[in-house]
Amino acid sequence: MLEIDGVSKRFGSTVALDGMSLTVRPGELYGFVGANGAGKTTTMRIALGVLAADAGEVRLDGRPLDAASRRRIGYMPEERGLYPRMAVGTQLRYLAELRGRSAADARAAADRWTERLGIADRRGDEVQRLSLGNQQRVQLAAALVADPDVLVLDEPFSGLDPLAVDVMSEVLRERRDAGAPVVFSSHQLELVERLCDRVGIVRAGRAVAEGTVEELRDASAPELLVVAPHAPPGWADALPGVAGTRAAHEGTVVTLADPSDATLTAVLDAARRTGPVLEFRRLRPPLAEIYRDTVASTGTPAPPEAPGAAA
Amino acid sequence: MNGALRPVALIARREFASRVKGRAFIVGTLVVLLLLGVYAAVVATLASGEDTARVGVAGPAVALTGPLERAAPTEGLTLTVVPQPDVAAGEAAVRAGDLDALVAGDPIRPRVSVESEPDAALERVIVDATSAVARDAYLTGRGVDPAGLDAAVAESGPVVVSAEPPDPQAGQRLGLGLAGAFLLFFSIQTYGAMVAQGVVEEKASRVVEIVLSSVRPWQLLLGKVLGLGAVGLLQLVVLGGAGLAVAGAAGVLSGGAGLVSTVVSVVVWYLLGFALYATVFAAAGSLVSRQEDTQSVLSPITITVLLGFVVGFNLLTSDPRGTAITVISLLPPFSPLFMPARIALGVAPVGQVVLAFALTITFTAVVLALGGRIYANSVLRTGARVSLREAWGRARS
Repeated sequence: MLEIDGVSKRFGSTVALDGMSLTVRPGELYGFVGANGAGKTTTMRIALGVLAADAGEVRLDGRPLDAASRRRIGYMPEERGLYPRMAVGTQLRYLAELRGRSAADARAAADRWTERLGIADRRGDEVQRLSLGNQQRVQLAAALVADPDVLVLDEPFSGLDPLAVDVMSEVLRERRDAGAPVVFSSHQLELVERLCDRVGIVRAGRAVAEGTVEELRDASAPELLVVAPHAPPGWADALPGVAGTRAAHEGTVVTLADPSDATLTAVLDAARRTGPVLEFRRLRPPLAEIYRDTVASTGTPAPPEAPGAAA
Repeated sequence: MNGALRPVALIARREFASRVKGRAFIVGTLVVLLLLGVYAAVVATLASGEDTARVGVAGPAVALTGPLERAAPTEGLTLTVVPQPDVAAGEAAVRAGDLDALVAGDPIRPRVSVESEPDAALERVIVDATSAVARDAYLTGRGVDPAGLDAAVAESGPVVVSAEPPDPQAGQRLGLGLAGAFLLFFSIQTYGAMVAQGVVEEKASRVVEIVLSSVRPWQLLLGKVLGLGAVGLLQLVVLGGAGLAVAGAAGVLSGGAGLVSTVVSVVVWYLLGFALYATVFAAAGSLVSRQEDTQSVLSPITITVLLGFVVGFNLLTSDPRGTAITVISLLPPFSPLFMPARIALGVAPVGQVVLAFALTITFTAVVLALGGRIYANSVLRTGARVSLREAWGRARS
């Protein structure tokens, strides 16, 4: 279990993290979403010990992270980076050995992951001779090659072609199924919704919502879609328990302030009084919408990014 | 292996392997070797290039043959005297370049024909020969045997008692010392700059973030310095060894001039000097994020070292026992460059060597602490150049 507990970090006068807390359980795929500058990258860098926190603690299996336990984490930084003039195979073996693997283990893992990610025939090539897509695959292999117990990936899907996205998703699920806590950040919210067991939404250096997509949905204001072709505009505005309405999906979206049975009955009755009702159902807002609502409802937009301290 | 040192060894091995296999190292070493060989060849030619001259004698001046041949060695000239059938033939030979000069006529006031002007040494030989002939004629005319006078003169001469006898191998020692100083300067500049470039390359390619999520900054810095230091040492040994071999083959150098002790002291001082400079270079390199900016942070260091080197080198050749070079060789940043040269010259008292060593070690320790801190603070900061104040201050806040 990876716990980030009340971590704060300032860069000069900029507050990058302000009591960031989140928990990634074993066998859980955790999606980390938030605007640029919200603090995702800073959180990951602190978890990896690349940055020092001003306050707070990062724990792995209940113990504060130290240099030794950090080597159990596979890391893919937002700023991709490999030695450009080093051969793919040599590079992966080197990175695995730096994380404490024996030379033999490192060789086997480098062979296995290059095979798995479809770059086995490029093992002898310098990284700089590879296409950007293949460099991304090497980058993923670099995160996986030390056989980590935890994966922390910053924007692993950015810049991937659709096939590579599939491979990446598959690999993440596999690690999750093997019992590893896996956390990744992404701006591709449909992907996060499809892939993740739990999601954390960050804003201005704090986690403002955390849970399964279902839990987040329940926590957000529930909405109904009512398609009643003869209903006049504003037919549901004054009903008890209704927060607001808007026209959408060839009908009316009714936002409920109080999702009780009485409210539902009142809305349905009012709709039927206008004529036939073709559709009456609970809307399941996509993560993107929940995200927008969550971020919008929790205050002012995030501050601009601090120079040299991308969040 | 100790857990904290295995990454250091891995990093050092990577640096070593990637440089030694690189074309730059092999080509660079070969080029320097080639230059060294050409230099040695030129020196050897100049050293063995004893002056030779062919002089024709005609008419009564044939009497000068003996005196000319006797006078030539005192001027360091290898002289061949060729009798000419007559003056015209001799002058033709001079014009054709077969003879350097033709000596004709009266042996005491001969006429010397040359192409344009006589070689200075040859002129002195001819003057010596004519005076010898004149003197012998004068003495013989007064009934004195010139040979007796020569024998008496040969017996004369002072007996010099020197308080500090000159070292017959002083030239060799100076050569060794200067070569050592130059090699140290060359290695430290080259491989120190390589450390800085390596640091910047890791920052520019962002790989440093992955590496530093596995190892601590001091491990990365130490591994880098050790790896590149070993490459520099290898080149130093190759070049130094080749230089000694060439010098030995050319007969410029004979064993025993403190050869082994000089080599050992050059290596020891190289290690110390490299640790010192590499840390400074690494700290400087960590301040910038792009290769283009590297030069701007390195110039102040390289220029300081270069100035120190030029001044010290001149002092070393002109006045190796002087106060100025003594002081410079005791100052930590320059001790590694000049102490080994002074040791080779045999002008450094043991006390000074120990003092310089202690000062350099202390200074290096301080530089390692400061440089390591600047490096750790700035190596992950990308974008604009990090100012020294920021790099230093960050750790305190």
